[in-house]
Amino acid sequence: MSKSKKAAVRIILYLLLLILALVMLTPFAWMLSASLKLSKDVFLFPIQWIPENPRWSNYSDIWSKIPLGIFIANTAKLTVIITLLQLFTSSFAAYAFAKLRFKGRDLLFMGYIATIAVPWQAYMVPQFIIMSRLHLNNTHTAIILLQAFSAFGVFMMRQFYQSIPDELCEAARIDGMSEYGIYAKIMLPLSKPALSTITIFTFVAVWNDFLGPLIYLTKTELKTIQIGLRMFISQYSAEYGLIMSGSVIALIPVLIVFLSLQKYFVEGVASSGLKG
Amino acid sequence: MNKPFLRSLAIIVCLALLSACAGSSPPAANATQAPASQVEATVAPVADPTAAPTVEPTPEAPADNSVSLKWALWDKELTIYYQALLDAYKAVKPDVTIELLDLGSADYNTVLTTQLQGGDDIDIICIKDIPGYANLVKQNFLEPLNSYISSNNVDTSLFGGTVEQLTVNNDVYTLPFRSDFWIIYYNKDLFDKAGVAYPANDLTLDQYDALARQVTFGEGPEKVFGAHYHTWRSAVQLFGVLDGLHTIVDGSYDFLKPIYERVLKEQDDGIVQSYAELKTTGTHYSAAFFNNQIAMMNMGSWFIATQIAKVESGESFSTNWGMAKYPHPDGVPAGTTLGTITGISVSSHSTKKDEAFDFVNFVSGPEGAVVIASTGTIPAIKNDDVVAAIASLPGYPTDEGSKEALKTVKTVLEMPLHDKSADIEIALNEEHDAIMTYSITVDEGIKNMNERVAEILAN
Amino acid sequence: MNSATQARKGLSRKAKENLIAYSFIAPNFIGFSLFTLVPLIFALVLSVLSWDGSNPIEFVGFDNFVRMFKDKTFWQALQNTLLYTAGVVPMTMAAALGLALLLNQKLRGRNFFRTVAFFPYVASLVAVAAVWSFLFSPTRGPVNQVLHMITNLPVSKLPGWATDKNWAIPTVIFFSIWKTMGYYMVIYLAGLQNVNPELYESASLDGAGAINRFRYITIPQLAPTTFFVLMILIINSFKVYDIFITIFAGADNVLSGTTRVLVYQIYNAAFRSLNYGYASAIALVLFLIVLIITIIQFKGEKKFGE
Repeated sequence: MSKSKKAAVRIILYLLLLILALVMLTPFAWMLSASLKLSKDVFLFPIQWIPENPRWSNYSDIWSKIPLGIFIANTAKLTVIITLLQLFTSSFAAYAFAKLRFKGRDLLFMGYIATIAVPWQAYMVPQFIIMSRLHLNNTHTAIILLQAFSAFGVFMMRQFYQSIPDELCEAARIDGMSEYGIYAKIMLPLSKPALSTITIFTFVAVWNDFLGPLIYLTKTELKTIQIGLRMFISQYSAEYGLIMSGSVIALIPVLIVFLSLQKYFVEGVASSGLKG
Repeated sequence: MNKPFLRSLAIIVCLALLSACAGSSPPAANATQAPASQVEATVAPVADPTAAPTVEPTPEAPADNSVSLKWALWDKELTIYYQALLDAYKAVKPDVTIELLDLGSADYNTVLTTQLQGGDDIDIICIKDIPGYANLVKQNFLEPLNSYISSNNVDTSLFGGTVEQLTVNNDVYTLPFRSDFWIIYYNKDLFDKAGVAYPANDLTLDQYDALARQVTFGEGPEKVFGAHYHTWRSAVQLFGVLDGLHTIVDGSYDFLKPIYERVLKEQDDGIVQSYAELKTTGTHYSAAFFNNQIAMMNMGSWFIATQIAKVESGESFSTNWGMAKYPHPDGVPAGTTLGTITGISVSSHSTKKDEAFDFVNFVSGPEGAVVIASTGTIPAIKNDDVVAAIASLPGYPTDEGSKEALKTVKTVLEMPLHDKSADIEIALNEEHDAIMTYSITVDEGIKNMNERVAEILAN
Repeated sequence: MNSATQARKGLSRKAKENLIAYSFIAPNFIGFSLFTLVPLIFALVLSVLSWDGSNPIEFVGFDNFVRMFKDKTFWQALQNTLLYTAGVVPMTMAAALGLALLLNQKLRGRNFFRTVAFFPYVASLVAVAAVWSFLFSPTRGPVNQVLHMITNLPVSKLPGWATDKNWAIPTVIFFSIWKTMGYYMVIYLAGLQNVNPELYESASLDGAGAINRFRYITIPQLAPTTFFVLMILIINSFKVYDIFITIFAGADNVLSGTTRVLVYQIYNAAFRSLNYGYASAIALVLFLIVLIITIIQFKGEKKFGE
């Protein structure tokens, strides 16, 4: 390819990316603009992207109308604990599914996947009854136990481990390393992209979870951001301006986590391990 | 594993610990940020029994007289009368502490049933709608109140027949405390602009339709729609039950045909905004009314307090407004309208049923009614005094017609009590949606309603 | 040699391997079975029972299934869910893979573009739906305005998108792709990091073109990731609910006709009708469909891997 042709391809590529970025960012622009409006103007047609009289007070009002500080602290606590547990238990279990041979492996694994298919609405009530019997209703522990052991994380980690060559494990076994050692010293360092992905997904899922906390946390001092924001939707009215300003604030930690984990998406991690 | 990764993990762990501390440090620190969350009415000095004797030396009243009750409800932060009711009750029964359990309005029935199934120690339950009530009765989660009513000499005639409408197999499981009914809200400025006289307090459905057509004017974003139907089934379909000849749980819905045809014609002619666009854009009726986009709107009396508050705060541009009685079919007296009831019940699992009923009786009774009316909400015990009190609230339209609009002659429940009301409601709501979005014709929709409800009633 | 080691020696190599494997799975599996598997199995057993959450449970045999097969709305929901899945799965997969390949290049502002692509997934559903309903408003939206300019057709002849029964499913498919492709892109990005760059180098030396490199290196190397994305996409599409409710439900929160989906039926049965047995019967059908797909896929993956 000639140099000028290469440059032309690049320009088209960037143009494409810019258009894409624009389309993808419109919801955010809408959220920002809605967060500075009165509720009645939020869904007004045609969309007024820059509000005439921006209501900056929305951003101060949400702190006084609901105990947002407590809600954020609760959500942060749950999110961090669940994410850490999820990272550990998923990556640990997935190692067995991907790299070890044992009785009932495939059956167990297929069962794991298929359970993801059952919608939560179908088993929410039996689950709640179990938690209530254990006296865990209205505790953060209930939410943690509910979400820390997911089949999704195991499935994802297993798939990632599978693309790491078996030769690496074999070599280590010949060197006398235990399976636990292989997991900790070889697999984990190689799976930073997958661990980052699980971190991002779990973080987002727990941070934005609504139904779980809604059912399990009925005491104000235990509630999370998403329930807090729904407090602005009442039986006969809804304060969408305030909801959006709260949503914008709630979005910031998610973006920070996403951006800060980007550096672990580096090419050829596995092969570099092969050489070392 | 390389250092930066470990470092970020370490930071996350620290964050976890920090937030865990922040999360578990209870009220003391948070109380200042969250006054609203502390609605819990700590009435009695429940503290320290050792300190009690010095405060209250009389042996007849030891500290364990205090009772604490848990009340399940919705919209705790946004409803004014809860706190007013608690304050009023505290004056009567200082020993009773009532904890408010806010289960949210959108998913109230779901969350409530789940909590009750899990064995939560709720004592008092707010009833949001009739299908929810019917379900709770079927599940035996509500205490039958007849014996309490007779032993406490409660005068149920004050409720004007609603208690009878809430009776299941000769027993009643809830007492109504709030009773809303439907009226017409209109924007006087838009009527003036169109040069049309304000709606009278006696409009037939045909007259309402004609009036809506007269006050529709303008083009594009400036267009004013003559009327507005919110995306509830009740806002359209229930014009059909005002004549009292049919109910919505009959199983035969042919009488709805003219109702649907009229409204769809209005939709086609651009007299009202299309149902499909309203629902996909998530438009709320209050936004349309506040922004001077609609000249008339049929809506429940709950909107009065909101509209007054929003005019005062400057959010509602529809500052010059009025109310009129609900439009009615020919041959039916003006003042016939739809009603919806909010009830309060005692949980059958409560261990303090007598205390719980005492509060239920207070809230639904005459004393509670005065408190509720003072917040601009219409209580279930609705007499001339209550109506006068609401019509004299600051911000209420001053013309005689708007005051007259609150007087009703007959209120038909939006959903009559029926064993299967939850299932019937789903079927009707869905077919209504399909008709209003032109997914099926009116005839098909009515045929589906007939078939589906027949199936439900047969089971 | 003490007795413990003797005992351990007594175990066969196979048993020891099994034990080690189980020890890896245990932390996740114990929590998972107690708080997810047990209630889930209970829920599936409910499909042959009748229960309202409070009154005594009754055995009703296959009544729930008989009722389900006679229920027109169930078939409608199943059909819509299948249509939606058939549209969403391949298109989202293609879009996500394309994005991942593009954003795996060494580009200026790569992290920015990755974040932007992930954005609709994390933004509030209400916001995304509001923007969507604005863009696709039949009478006033930019999409139909452009279509009007191109085709010169009157607005009434143009698609009504979400407001039109014939366009409802395609509209929600586009919406879903837009909202979730960033999510699946992240999974593909993680998978792409495992592709050995040396393979590309040697292939280039052998004179393989871009297409051949993609076909013979990227695709096989990405197979486990693709299997994962495919399964999760299928499962999530079968479980779709929130998106439909946000776009199509009015104030009564119902779906009808072409907008009805399976999980909505489950929700109605469980929480509006308090018929947990019937809800479970529908959930069981969902479970079985996905189980069959999983088995087929899993067998395929194994064959592919060998």
